[in-house]
This record gives sequence, C-alpha cells and structure tokens, in this order.
Amino acid sequence: MAEQQRFALVDVNSFYVSCERVFDPKLAGIPVVVLSNNDGCVVARSDEAKALGIKTGDPWFKLAESAPKLGLVQRSSNYELYGDLSSRVMQLLARFSSEQEIYSIDECFLHLHGSDAELRSRGTDIRAAVARNIGLPVCVGIGATKTLAKFANRIAKQNPHMGGVCNLDALDPAVVDRIMSRVPVTGLWGVGSRNGVRLNALGIESVADLRDADPAMIRSKFSVVLQRTVLELNGTACIPMETESADKQQVLFSRSFATPVVTRESMRQVMSLYAQQAATRLAKEGLLATVMTVFAATSRFNDKAASAPSVTVRLERPTADPMVLTRAAIAAMDSQAVDGAPYAKAGIMLTGLSPAGAEPVFDLFAAGPEQKDIGPLLAQVTDKYGSASIGLGLAGMSSAKPDWTMARKFASPRYTTEWSDLPVVRAV
Amino acid sequence: MAVFSSQPGPRSGGTGDPQPGRGSTLPAGFASPAQDYYDAGIDLNRHLIRDATATFIMRVSGDAMDGAGISDGDELIVDRSLTPKDGSVVVAVLNGELIIRRLLLTGQGIFLHADSPGSTDIRVPDPAELSVWGVVTRCLHHV
Repeated sequence: MAEQQRFALVDVNSFYVSCERVFDPKLAGIPVVVLSNNDGCVVARSDEAKALGIKTGDPWFKLAESAPKLGLVQRSSNYELYGDLSSRVMQLLARFSSEQEIYSIDECFLHLHGSDAELRSRGTDIRAAVARNIGLPVCVGIGATKTLAKFANRIAKQNPHMGGVCNLDALDPAVVDRIMSRVPVTGLWGVGSRNGVRLNALGIESVADLRDADPAMIRSKFSVVLQRTVLELNGTACIPMETESADKQQVLFSRSFATPVVTRESMRQVMSLYAQQAATRLAKEGLLATVMTVFAATSRFNDKAASAPSVTVRLERPTADPMVLTRAAIAAMDSQAVDGAPYAKAGIMLTGLSPAGAEPVFDLFAAGPEQKDIGPLLAQVTDKYGSASIGLGLAGMSSAKPDWTMARKFASPRYTTEWSDLPVVRAV
Repeated sequence: MAVFSSQPGPRSGGTGDPQPGRGSTLPAGFASPAQDYYDAGIDLNRHLIRDATATFIMRVSGDAMDGAGISDGDELIVDRSLTPKDGSVVVAVLNGELIIRRLLLTGQGIFLHADSPGSTDIRVPDPAELSVWGVVTRCLHHV
C-alpha cells in the first residue's frame, strides 16, 4: 500500500473519570461520575455509570440518595488535575506527528503517514504510550479527513474488539457503509441538532444520507460549513489543522504562526492577544474560567531547539477579566518557554467554566445596577482617606486575599500541581 | 507541571542542550546582558526527570522501606515509562491501593519485598496480576 497522509483523532476515554482513576485505583471497574462546578450535575461518567442509565446533566441531588446502593462514587471536578494530565497527553502525542491540533482538553488531531499496516501500528503505539506514561486510556480514529477521523474514533470506541484503534480505510467498505447508514446524521462531528432537524425534513437521516447528498444543494440550503462536511465524508480534506473552539467544557485558542515566534517578548504578545480573544469569547458565552493551560511548540522538523512547554495554572478566582487572563497567560508561559526557541505554534485553553453571575459575593462591587453610584462614592472615600483606602475588586482587597472557593465537596487532591496534595504511596 | 516550582526546564524527551537565556531566576532578567554568561544554577527538573510526561512525585507513608533509605514523609520521583527490573523499587497497585516495595523476580516467583526487618514479602501468585504503577528513580529523603 502506498504512502498516504491521514488524519488521526486521538481522545481519552471518559477523560475526567480516567484522570481520577490514575491516582485512585479503587475507582477502577466501578461506576464513577464527575460533577460540575458546585457539584451541581453529572459532567462525566465511567462506562459502568453509563450502564446504570446515568446521563450527562443528571442533577446530583437526585442521584445522591441511591448512590451508595448503586455502588456509585462521585467526584467534584478537579480541573487542576485534568489540566495537568491533559498537558502531558498533548506533549506526548506531539511526538508522534509533525502536525498536532489540540482540539479540546481530551482530544487532538494528528497527521500520520504510512501504509494501512503502518497506520494501525502507529495507532497502537499511541495507545500504549499514553497508557504507560500517563495511565490514561485513549482511542485512535484514522481517516482521510478530520470528519472521517472523528467518525473512525467513534467506531473504535463502540467496538472494543478493535483494540481502541480504527483505520477507516482498512475496513471493508461495505461495513463502513452499513455503519454510516445506521448512525444518525446528528451523531456526526459538525452537525448540530438544529441542522439535524432540517436535514431530516429533507430525508437526510443517516451519515450515509449526508455523504450521498449533493454538496451544492447542501451549500445553498444550509451553509458552506455543512458543505465541507459532505466533501469530507467523501474523502476530500477541507478542514485545516487549526481551530478555535468553545463549548461547555473549554474555550480554546490555538494557532500556527506564519513565521516562528522566537523572542520572549513576542511570545508575551502572542499570549496577550490570545488571552484577550479568550476573554472576549468567555464574555460572549457568559462564562467565567477557573483554570488556564498555555502551550507552545517548536516545529517537529526543528530538532535542534525542540521545546514544547505546557503549563496549567489555577486562576485566583473564576474570571473573564482580560487583564487577569493576560497576566496569568504571560506568567505561565514565561515559566517554561525558552527564549530563543523558534515556536511554530501556541495556544491557550480555559477550563473549569461556570456561568457568570453564579459567582458569590466577591464581585459585589463590580456588578449590579448600583454600579454607577460606586464611582463617586469611591472618589469621596479616597479624597478623605487616601488612594489606598478603598478600591474595586482585587485592587481593593488584595491584602485580605479572599479565600474564594467553589463547592467541591467530593474533590480529589490536586495530585500533580500542589506540593501539599501529592499522592500518597503506602510503605507497609 | 512545575515539579520543583519556579525553575523552568526542558520538558519531555531530553530536548537538547541548555540554551543561553533560559532559566533566569527573575522574569525581568531576560534583558540582562549578563544573561548569556549566567548558567542559571542547577535545574533539578533537568537532572532528575527523564521524561516529564511520565514523571510524578509521590509522598511516602509508612516505614516498610526504611532499609532502602526511604522513610515516612519522604517524596519520591516516579517514572511510569521505565520497565521494572529485578530489584527495582516500584509503586505497585495492590487491593486498590498504591504501595511502595522492591520488586524481586526470582526462580521461586515474583515478590514485593519490604526493606525493613519484620515486614513480610508479598508473593504475587500470577504475573498477570502484578500491576506496577511506576518505577521509583529517586527518593527525596528528609534529613
């Protein structure tokens, strides 16, 4: 088989739950759920919890009573842990490809090359490396386009006998066709539920239906975006390896540079720009972030000065403030980036998202209809007592250092980011 | 992961020689003309960590490894990517718990040996049941 370039989509199975299991082997093989901010509802489930019929979004208070009877174990979201393990996974995966696109906290696209047999063994190597180095299970989907790689990943997940790796091209085309006819079109990457309803109305119900649809018709009736999906299903790669994405779990900005970013000063500018774009996105979605991961990488083709920093930091409090995010991004990147290394790409990922407005007391000063009265009041106070006597938000309370925390009643320790929280190994 | 806090270091996979300009102790120090001549001190990340993606720090609880110089409260550097050998000090998973022991691969079978008088070895009846979490490469012993 000739040399071919393929896309691989690598993602971690039940990422949050799997992270919890790395340091707490007792959680292996039992139903586990991870809860949202403030322990509100289920955001991640182990396979065993799925088998119990627990759904993403189920409120915890409804499950709490029956949990002991079901043998169900719950954890609060531990974004420091997830962010750190995510950084490790992405750094490790970058070694397998000349091109990497970090798509979310637990998935990335890679370019892979080789014959079908070589692609399969590369996929198997990736799985083994992540399991060995980090202790997390991943599935690898391989296809001619990003859309097909995503689809292949889904097949790998749902068919354990495949050993976690699915190369779509190596499957019998009749089998692929059968699967595509069975999977509803809404199960496809890039097709939302709203488009789904309209597609169904046109008789396009399965992935196979969309694959066989007329791209020009799809473009005129829907969008150029959905037309791309049709082309991608037919093997024409048209979604490039860059993206920004935002969903309920993260906001992510990542770009390759036209010319390498070499100096510390220019990397700071990049971080500043991305942080502000991320802040804008947070504001648009009405979200606050608690954990930030910054990353950068030199080109894989540049062995001499290879560097792939990746740092996860907890923000002092949930925020969408561009100043706070910019400062944090620059400081985090400065701690690891090598001045003089030619970075080919960089990115920022924000996780631990919560709706703005859910944050307690602390922003009392900054929000609300009374705000317009604060200015004159502040001026009066500072005139009388001096400029350091009162201020807004952090500026006004920096010495008090408010101990703001979200309810995380069932949180595991921050095993990899806090010296006081290191995992304990028993010598008995 | 900043294992030893502030000092930056090359991450995964031995990324090559130290480079001028890296590792100023002060963020503001990058513009210093002396930068190129300053060796930035010793970076423990560089010397003690082979592969940052696979390296974790753990804390010991208990005395069973005293004989190996590993005491209650010590911190360990654990590398998951190494293959354990006969005599390796390992973190193993036993009954859902992480324990530290010396791995002995003998003609009589596989044992998790405790380096202290009075402790008994744990026999691993079936090699398939042995679950090594990682190999201990260093102990940060509190003296």
